[in-house]
Amino acid sequence: MSLPEEELNIDGVKTRMEVAYGAGDGDEDAKAIVAKSEAHVGTLFEQTYRPWDGELGPRWVRNYAIFRHHVYGLFRGTGHRHYHPMVKLTIFVILLYSLLPVLMLFLASLSTDGFMSDLFSRLWGINRYNLWGQVLGYFPRNLCCWPMLTALVVGGMISDDRKFGTSAIYFSRPVTRTDYTVMKYISVAVVLGFVIVLSYFVYYTSAIVFNGEGWAYLVDTLPMFLGGLIAGILVVITYTSIGLALSSISQSRFFAAIAFLGVIYGTKLLALLIESQFDTSILYVLSPYDSLAHIGQWLLGIEPNYDHPLAFSLVSMLLYNASAIALLTFRVGTLEVTRE
Amino acid sequence: MSQKTPAVVVDQVSKWYDQVIGLNDVSLAIDGGVTGVLGPNGAGKSTLFKLLMGRLKPSQGSVKLFGEDPWVNPSPYRRIGYVCETERMYDWMTALDFVSTLARLHGMTREEATARAEHVLDFVGLSDVQNKEIGKYSKGMRQRVKIAHALVHDPDLIILDEPLHGCDPIARTSIMSVIRELGTQGKTVLVSSHILEEIERITEQIVILNEGRLLALGNLHAIRGLLDKHPHRILLTCEDPRKLARRFIVENPVYGVRFPNEGQLEIQTNDLSAAHSILPRVITDSGVLVESIDNPDDNLEALLGYLIGGSS
Repeated sequence: MSLPEEELNIDGVKTRMEVAYGAGDGDEDAKAIVAKSEAHVGTLFEQTYRPWDGELGPRWVRNYAIFRHHVYGLFRGTGHRHYHPMVKLTIFVILLYSLLPVLMLFLASLSTDGFMSDLFSRLWGINRYNLWGQVLGYFPRNLCCWPMLTALVVGGMISDDRKFGTSAIYFSRPVTRTDYTVMKYISVAVVLGFVIVLSYFVYYTSAIVFNGEGWAYLVDTLPMFLGGLIAGILVVITYTSIGLALSSISQSRFFAAIAFLGVIYGTKLLALLIESQFDTSILYVLSPYDSLAHIGQWLLGIEPNYDHPLAFSLVSMLLYNASAIALLTFRVGTLEVTRE
Repeated sequence: MSQKTPAVVVDQVSKWYDQVIGLNDVSLAIDGGVTGVLGPNGAGKSTLFKLLMGRLKPSQGSVKLFGEDPWVNPSPYRRIGYVCETERMYDWMTALDFVSTLARLHGMTREEATARAEHVLDFVGLSDVQNKEIGKYSKGMRQRVKIAHALVHDPDLIILDEPLHGCDPIARTSIMSVIRELGTQGKTVLVSSHILEEIERITEQIVILNEGRLLALGNLHAIRGLLDKHPHRILLTCEDPRKLARRFIVENPVYGVRFPNEGQLEIQTNDLSAAHSILPRVITDSGVLVESIDNPDDNLEALLGYLIGGSS
């Protein structure tokens, strides 16, 4: 039997519960929690599926979506690839540190003292050694900055997809394996390039601006600059290849990052120990950093500090890149990167 | 006249992992409506879905989605939505960000992706929490996010691997109504589940796998009808089962009766529809009051029991 309308209306008039309590036998002050009128307010989700008749964008739009997902995460808090705030801070500090010579150049340009000006110029001015050092100097650039930067950026690039199961989601989209690999590669290379190559570029151009150099200076130094630029690009390519290959075989960003640092520092340390004991630099061909440094010295036309021929370092760098890219493409090509 | 290509064609596909056979010479074609993929653990359901999604290469045979091999060419994925078994997602993202990010992998613009993500999240009943981080969602909500991202580009074929796994009854009901709605809209939906009753509530169209082999494909009742060696049973709860049994035993489609419990009569027949057609007349003529009529073995659980029991 349904209740009368006035008994159902619990907003303002007596409810059934109030009637039951208010029997007048001494419990007039008794209180009961009764349903409020809001109980009648409900939400009905409209579970009606509406088809979409828009046009899906071309391949480059999809690829750009992969790229921005990885790169924008460094600048924005949500909606993109997650980078821990400490990672972002470290990358920012490395960027600032790599731009430090620009500040020193500026201070040097203010000096009118001939001796001090010469000293500053030797220390921070544009010359073959300083250009090489900006990209390939071991301390602090290749001991503290670039490998750390690469490890932080590349560590989770593929391993996070495996960890979170999202690589399977990628490949349930019209994303080819080539697109996936190339866009991951470009994303890492752009971030590394932004710090390594851009800081090098800013360093060179700011020297021209601060010292008011002219065309003659530009013509004199441009070949050196280009040599260093190629060396910088080779650093970005080699570190990206090795880092991504290691990320593709791991399920945690920590392993990939540590493995990358292990490759860079471990091979360097091993070669250093052998050199100190046997006075031969041949084992430096095992070190990706030293191979790059050797090639960089040749590109910038400075005296090499390695005994072995340049060809060995060149082959070593090519082999490192080829084997890393082969491993990466194998892992993506067989979709091993989707196995959780 | 050109013939429409079926959404899914699996042609004599086998997949083995070293010595272990994941899928053994399976052939099937599916197009339109909801199809349940059933089988015990290790039956080959996930292997089948991974082959369909191009995550595994068949050791033998061919897989075609809308006429294309997904291992070689990912273009069919423009028309496919996939809900994988894994529950892990980008926990730091909001559902709206997650779904719109994946929409952009289909080439949608930012505005299109956001509008479409909002719609599908509303469709799966998550519009009120769409700006909450996925990490704070319950299991059922996470399953619905997965369904939302699979639907965001309006696919024609939707593959759902265990979408009801770990969901509470309310989430299950909600997800099932979503699946049914998609089926009625003419989309091809493949759904795997261990929860047979719920598959039964979604669809009667089923694929049964066991130990990597295809055991049955088609309508649940039609498959049941084909199992001649397992007679159908009709269970009647009534006040005088023996009186009723005397009436039934002389009828042609009935070949046996049993009294499993007090007040119950079990009729055994090889022709279920013929037996049902005589039921009203016989009950009326007998004058016995019948409380309930049930077909205890014309359901998915019994069917799976017969098929898988028979195959092992």
